[in-house]
Amino acid sequence: MKSTNSNKLLKIFLYITLFTILAPMAILILWIFVGRWPWPNLLPATYSLRAIKEIFAPYSNVFSILFSSILLSLSVAILSAIIATITARALVLYDFIGKTVIEFLTIAPILVPGAVFAMGIHIVFIKLSLADTVLGVIIIHLIYTLPYTINIMKDLTESVGKQMEVQAYVLGASPLKSFIYITFPLLTPGIMASISMAYITSFSQYFITLLIGGGTVKSFNVLMVPFIAKGDRSLSSAYALVFIISTLLVFLIIDKIIKKLPYQDNKEEI
Amino acid sequence: MNKKTPYILIMPIVLLGVLFIFGVINGIVQSFGYIPAFDLTDITLDYYIEILNSPTFLDSLKTSLQISIISSILAVILGTILTAALVYTGHTEGKILQIIKLAIIIPHTIVALFLISILSQNGLIARLFYKLGWISSQGDFPLLLYTKNNFGIILGYIWKEIPFVAYFSLALMSSINKTLGEASENLGASKLKSFFYITLPLSMPAIGKAFLIILTFSFGAYDLPFLLGATMPKALPVQAHIEYIHPDLRHRPYAMAMNGLILIITWTMAGMYYLITTKKNKR
Repeated sequence: MKSTNSNKLLKIFLYITLFTILAPMAILILWIFVGRWPWPNLLPATYSLRAIKEIFAPYSNVFSILFSSILLSLSVAILSAIIATITARALVLYDFIGKTVIEFLTIAPILVPGAVFAMGIHIVFIKLSLADTVLGVIIIHLIYTLPYTINIMKDLTESVGKQMEVQAYVLGASPLKSFIYITFPLLTPGIMASISMAYITSFSQYFITLLIGGGTVKSFNVLMVPFIAKGDRSLSSAYALVFIISTLLVFLIIDKIIKKLPYQDNKEEI
Repeated sequence: MNKKTPYILIMPIVLLGVLFIFGVINGIVQSFGYIPAFDLTDITLDYYIEILNSPTFLDSLKTSLQISIISSILAVILGTILTAALVYTGHTEGKILQIIKLAIIIPHTIVALFLISILSQNGLIARLFYKLGWISSQGDFPLLLYTKNNFGIILGYIWKEIPFVAYFSLALMSSINKTLGEASENLGASKLKSFFYITLPLSMPAIGKAFLIILTFSFGAYDLPFLLGATMPKALPVQAHIEYIHPDLRHRPYAMAMNGLILIITWTMAGMYYLITTKKNKR
């Protein structure tokens, strides 16, 4: 009796949570089409396409900035996944001098808030001519995605281990070949999870992009925030929806790519 | 294989790590008033002493601590319940988990927009209260955004962090429940008892780590308090940035000293977490 009751409570809690996540999304979509919504109406008085027209207007540059912002975050994501894969490999499969230092380095950014670090490194970036450049933004985003991607890759590398690869090596394959054909396919789920994780971390950054990018590097979030701060709810809702849909699309494409990878077939043979 | 291999593999992380440490140290050096580029060359603790005596800073510190402690405690409790709900109702994958993930991909800037359209004095909840006759005008609805109580900011963090805690600890709790939790039930423990005595304690490493991450994040984050905070007092990172962009460049060390104190507090939080977890392991 008791356990079915607590299960029911858990179910109710779950549904309340789902409602709290989805309800603001519904309100956001409604706001895009609001013309006038005077107090105290529960529904808008008039509807308009102003926000949609504004977003698609050529002068607003929304989609070119969206595109370059996606490209920037994808670059961060792919670099982060590559660095995470090789760092995890070194940490899990090898012993070397300074291992604990590297292990500490991989979690250190979690202990230094992005805003604090960005203000500290800004002057260095100015001296190195990295401030106000795409490369500078990529580097700082990379630093803040690596703790998460390395964590994912370390767990996976530990569970995949080295045995399979060593077998291929013993049977005469070159080390590089045995990595590419044996270990890499086994690591692809983690690599894709790392790419998704790093992508969303990078695409969501506001302050550090603004400070290091100096307004020259416009990410989509940097473009959107002034509308939220100004309180133009229709327009900022339209921007927010573009943000969310584009992220979901990128994730969908990443998902499709994993399924298309030739390695997926090989995996079954293994 | 080759002895050099690990050193080649760690090259990128070492490069980025050196840059990272250099950035942190550079900020700390500036907080002691050493910025030759601005003709500041005396190394001193004065900036720290001055801000520790300034009421503006102390109010900011209180605001940030209040925001991060309240939101993180509530989020970790509710997030653990959500994790349990997902595990015990068998939704550890599938559509419901996708919706939870949706909250993770939504950035804090958009969360601010949600809160503005729902919680402001002409927002949806105020309108609902008016229709229900609970308030007679917009002004009767309590101010929840841009005010000292920081209600909106705290709620925003909770909204983002409950799904994060669940996502972070789901794998561990679900595997423990599958093995040890169900075993203890088979041996006759009630579901509730096996949860509180077996599954929850063994899931604590993940839950504790999630708590540390959200606690330090909400203490040092800029975006949400920047968009929804009161004019006075501002959250620490926002206040530090105001000093940072002060037209008089000699104000820079004040910003850096504030950042230094944010670091000290963040590291204290992490140190306490470390002490508590290692103590537990020893027992």
